[in-house]
This record gives sequence, structure tokens and C-alpha cells, in this order.
Amino acid sequence: MQRRVFLASMLAVVVLGALVTRVIQNQYYYFAAYVILQYVVLATAWNILGGYTGYVNFGSAAFFALGAYTSVVLIKAAAAPLVVLVVAGGLVSGLLGLGIGYLTLRLRGVFFAIATLALAVVLQTMFINWEYVGGARGIYIIRPKTVPFFTSYVEFLFAVMVVLAVVAVTVAWWIENSRVGRGLAAIRDNEEAAECMGVPTLKLKLVATTVSGVLMGVAGAPFPYYVTYVEPSSAFNLDYAVNSLAMPMIGGTTTWAGPVLGAVLLGTAQQVATVTISSALNLLIVGIILVAFVILAPEGIIGLVRRVTKGKRG
Amino acid sequence: MMRPGKCRTRRWSWIGALIAMVLVAEAWAPAISAAQTAQPIRIGLGMALTGGLAANGKPALMSMQIWAEDVNKKGGLLGRKVELVYYDDQTKPATVPGIYTKLLDVDKVDFVVSGYGTNLIAPAMPIVMERGLVFMGLFGLANNEKFKYHGYFQIMPAGPNPAVDWSQGFFEIAAKQTPKPTTVALVGADAEYPHNALAGAREQVKRFGLKIVYDSTYPPATVDYTPIARAIKATNPDIVFVASYPPDSVGMVLAAHEVGLTPKLFGGGMVGLQFAAFMTKLGPKLNGLVNYDFWVPEPTLKFPGIEEFLRKYQAKAKEAGVDPLGHYLPPWAYAYVQVLGQAIEATKSLDQKKVMEHIRTNTFDTIVGKVQFGPNGEWATSRVLQIQFQNVTGTDIEQFMKPGKRVVLYPAQWKSGALIYPYAKAKP
Repeated sequence: MQRRVFLASMLAVVVLGALVTRVIQNQYYYFAAYVILQYVVLATAWNILGGYTGYVNFGSAAFFALGAYTSVVLIKAAAAPLVVLVVAGGLVSGLLGLGIGYLTLRLRGVFFAIATLALAVVLQTMFINWEYVGGARGIYIIRPKTVPFFTSYVEFLFAVMVVLAVVAVTVAWWIENSRVGRGLAAIRDNEEAAECMGVPTLKLKLVATTVSGVLMGVAGAPFPYYVTYVEPSSAFNLDYAVNSLAMPMIGGTTTWAGPVLGAVLLGTAQQVATVTISSALNLLIVGIILVAFVILAPEGIIGLVRRVTKGKRG
Repeated sequence: MMRPGKCRTRRWSWIGALIAMVLVAEAWAPAISAAQTAQPIRIGLGMALTGGLAANGKPALMSMQIWAEDVNKKGGLLGRKVELVYYDDQTKPATVPGIYTKLLDVDKVDFVVSGYGTNLIAPAMPIVMERGLVFMGLFGLANNEKFKYHGYFQIMPAGPNPAVDWSQGFFEIAAKQTPKPTTVALVGADAEYPHNALAGAREQVKRFGLKIVYDSTYPPATVDYTPIARAIKATNPDIVFVASYPPDSVGMVLAAHEVGLTPKLFGGGMVGLQFAAFMTKLGPKLNGLVNYDFWVPEPTLKFPGIEEFLRKYQAKAKEAGVDPLGHYLPPWAYAYVQVLGQAIEATKSLDQKKVMEHIRTNTFDTIVGKVQFGPNGEWATSRVLQIQFQNVTGTDIEQFMKPGKRVVLYPAQWKSGALIYPYAKAKP
């Protein structure tokens, strides 16, 4: 029953997203919503490895940028449609996740985090020196002027991001409620004990790094059409790494709803801050909220709500 | 049951009321329309007020505000005040689409102009193109090369072929020296502008028949430039062309002095050497460097209005804690809205097409001189200056406000002095 309710509500979100494009004409809301939804995907992806498995990834920007640059290559080489870009971006970033998983999963804690940070630096250097994708100069991507069923390409990008966010959340929900999720939770709590109990830790960690990589890649795939000018410093921007970590921490890392809540709250706050108060405060807002949550509510909003409701019942 | 006569009376009273409402509305219409015309003309933009480009973004915005004040003092444009609506783009291209759609769809501004720099102009291009808007650009390098949008006009005087025209003067000066230099070292950062400038420099090298003996880039986060300067020195080039951003420009100059790198001609495309902070940091170490610039306080470049603008700017800059000289970007930030304002006044219209057409086909008198745009929206002819630092003594800022410290060598039309050659002769 619970499964049906979840899937029905996800379907409802997609339908709602499609309906919104028929009602709202103001493009600003699509651009703002696109960014928030992009963070829903990124935060959910980060949480599969960071929240469920306990492996902190500081290299989210690398997976995101790899998805974006895969799109750049395909647009330049074959003028591929967005659906192909999303699939290819996911595949390439997923492969990177798998490879990095093999190479680094012997590392734990802070050492794994440093390795992922290094990955971002290595990849950025590679793209800076790859002239085909614009190198350090960057590359212009011209959006198609029209797209069937939508009045503007931005509406289409928004609709695609709604679908991607729903897919990401559904995947996270499935993992959480399956044997895979329970295995990942066992790894997070005590990896040695889990191994002794017969949990295939390496296999599960590889699943987590791959799925997380795929989702981050698909979040990055439409980016070239969103920004229309891709260059390494914006594709590998620190914001992606910081936000995809901060959002699950604020929402709560143990359930699929945590990253969604964190991304919607923090993403909206950032969007509003950009056009109201000085956006110099943007990262400061993230920093202060993050510190406050780590100290006062280490399990995020979801954990806080659970604690309060339990306290009331108790 | 209602009587037919009563019903007819009621119907007539409804019709009468409707007519009265229409008449009242008609009577109010001129008043409403007058009130609307009294609304300010709103110009929207995103500007880098935080992040990597904020040191230039803040003075640029301040210059635009000075323009708005100047215009409003004279009664505004078309009898309406001018108002700037701006948001901080944080030097992040990803914020730009949201900012420009907010300006256009929510704030309903009348015109939009660009923020500062290539990376932050590009993401706004598709939005203005879709709506057919006039788009004044501030210091973007070849932004319109791919888009070929007829409503884009860029104020930096890099010329119709920006990347190549950028270093034209530097290599022309080299070619005129006797004995003619023959070898060249090209060096720059792994970033957008240096890559473009180096690509242009390579074409110039070919054109002037020079031989490249060193051609390499370095990561933008490089801290120690002495190994690079040593590697260049080992190739013993006659010319060293550097395309760099402010931190590496300073690093390269200091490293060259440390290792004794003394080519015959040194400089070219170093960003940062136009700012007071870096000029006062390097002081006499600048002597002999030949570098690009756009405006310097030389007698040949005293355009009407520039001194008045700089007086206002410099008074405000002290309070705001931004570049106290304001010679590099501020006059251009003033000029690009000045062009837009002049076009609105001339066409007596806020119609995008009319204003666009006017800008495309006319020459404008601005505080940076006469401005005319070519078919791709860049300046019709390049006016990238090549200047040489001469007789810089100490590190006080006052000296850079006067002529004689940054002598214009190129183009000939604006020349204000002679080159001290070779570089070593001008060095302290």
C-alpha cells in the first residue's frame, strides 16, 4: 500500500509539473525551479553514498561536470537530443563512479573524502586542457529554438528536470526500502561487523558509488542547454559540492525525504536571496544553517521532527 | 410577476450605468497614461558584486549609477527618470539566466544591459535573443561570434576580430624596431581570456614572420612564477608576450625581475596592470613594460566628459573602497549605458527594434571617445592601446593620475610618446 501511495504521489508530481507548463508563462519561475530541482537530484544522489552508506563525497561537482561535458561532446559531435544526453551523461558518470569505487573504497572516512576532492581537481585540469570541448576558453551551446509540446525550451528543461528529480527520488526510495538499503545502512553503522555477518560490502559500495554517479551525471547533462556557455570553472563550481552535501545534512540523511526537503528549503532560500538581499550572503546562509544543524539537529529536519513527535508520544 | 415596463426600466438603468462607467474610464485614461509615462525608465542588469570579478563589478556599477545621476539631473530620458535595477550575479554564470528572466518577466524592466565579463554575458544571450532585445555588452571577448545576434553591442574597443586585434599593436611595435626582433615566447594562464589572447598572438606571430621559441600555459592557481620565468629565460627570446589575469600578472613581473628576464619587448596582454592596487604594488618594476590598455590620462585621450566623470568616480571610490583610479573599466561602464541613453533620446522611443537599428547605424560621442559598432556588434575598428610604463618612481598613486607614466605607443592616432627600447633600457 505504502509503495502504491509513494509511486502515485511521484506520478502526481510529474503530472503537476506538466500542468504547470500549461499555466505559468513567466520564464523566471522555470529557471528558478530548474535550479532547485537540479539540487534535488544532486542531493539525493549524494545521499545514496554519503547518507545511506556513510561515505562522504566532496567531488559531486566532478560527476556533475562530467555529465555536462558528456553532453557538450555529444552536442558538438552529433547534435544529439536531450534524452540521449541525459542517458549518456548518466552512463559516463556512473562508469566514473564505478571506477572510483574500485580505486578508493579501501579508503575510509576523511581519506575517501580527500580522494573525491582530488578527483574533481584532476578532472577539471583535464577539461581545461581539452580543446575539443572548449578547454579553458569555454564553449557556446546554442539552445534549439523550438521544442514540440512546449512554448519555450526553458519549459522543456524544467519538465525534464521534474522527471529526473522524480526518478532520482524513486531510486533513493527503492534503495532505502530494499535489501540493498539495509546492507548500506549496515556498512554505515559498522563495516567490519557487516562484512562478518555476510553483507557483500564491496559489491554494495560499488552499487552506491555507481548509482550516485549516474544520478549526478544526469543532473549535469542538461546544464549546457541551461547555461548555454560551459567552461570548467562554472561546471566544476564549488557550489555543487557544498550544496549537494549541505542539503541532505539539513534535511536529514537517513531517508529519501531528507535531501528533497533540504534541497527545496535551501535551494529556494538561495534563489530568493539572489534577487532580494545581497547574494553575498548566499554561501554564508548555507554555512550558518549547516553549522546550526550539525550542532542542534545532527539528524536534520526529519530527525528533529521524529525526535519531537517521539517526545510528545513518550 | 414583474411588469414588462419595470423590467425595461431596469435594463435601461443597467445600460446607463455601463455607459457612465465607460465615460468615466475614458475621462481617467489620459490621467492614467500620464501617470504611466511618469514612471522611470528601468534598466536591468546582473553585476558581479561578489566573487572573483567583484573588484571590477563594483566600480562598474558605481559608474553606471553616476551616469543615471547625471541623466536624471538633466531631466532624465524622454522626460522620465532613469532607474537601474540590478542583482548580484556572484560571478557565477549559472545565476545569470534566473536574474535576466526575473528582470524581464517579474520586474518588467524596459531594457537590459550585460554584467561584466565574457562568462557572465554568454548565459544572458539566448534570453535577450529570444525576445529580440537590445543588449549592450560590457567587456566580453567575442561573445557574439557564435550567436551572430544583431542586437548585441559590446563596448570594449577590441575591434571586429577581438582575439587577433588584441595583440596587433604589440607585434606591430615589435616589427618596427631595429634590429627587428625575431624570436618570441608566448605564455599565459589556463583560463578563458589568456587562451583567446594567446590564440590571437599566435596568428600575429605568423603574420610578422617571427619564430616561437616558447609557448606554454600554466594553471591559474600557480603561486610561484620563477620556474616559468627561468624556463622562458633559457630560450632567450627577443619578445615575451604574456596573457594573464591580475594575480599572475603581478607574479610574472616579480619573477622576471627576480631571475633577470630581460627580453627586448615584454608584456602585451597582462590584465591587472591597469588597476591602482597592482600599479602601486609594483611601482618602478613596471618601467619598460609594454602592455594593452583602453584609456590612460594622456593628452591625446582627453575626451569630453571623461575628467568630470573621473572626478565624481574618484570621490565616490574612496568611500566605497574600490579602485581609486578608475581608469580601466569605469569609463566604459559609463559609456555603454551612455550609448543606450543617447539612442533612446535620438529615437524618442523605447521600442527595441528602433533603438537597436539606431545603435547599429550611428556613431556616439561618449566619454571614451567616438563609438561606432561593426556588423558583429564589436567596435568597427579596434582601439586597443599599447602603452609603456615610463619614469615610474616609488609607489604613490598620485603619479598614475598624471600623464607621462603610461605613454601611448599605439595606435598612431592616439600616440603620446616614444618607445624606450629595448626593455632593459627603461628598467630601474
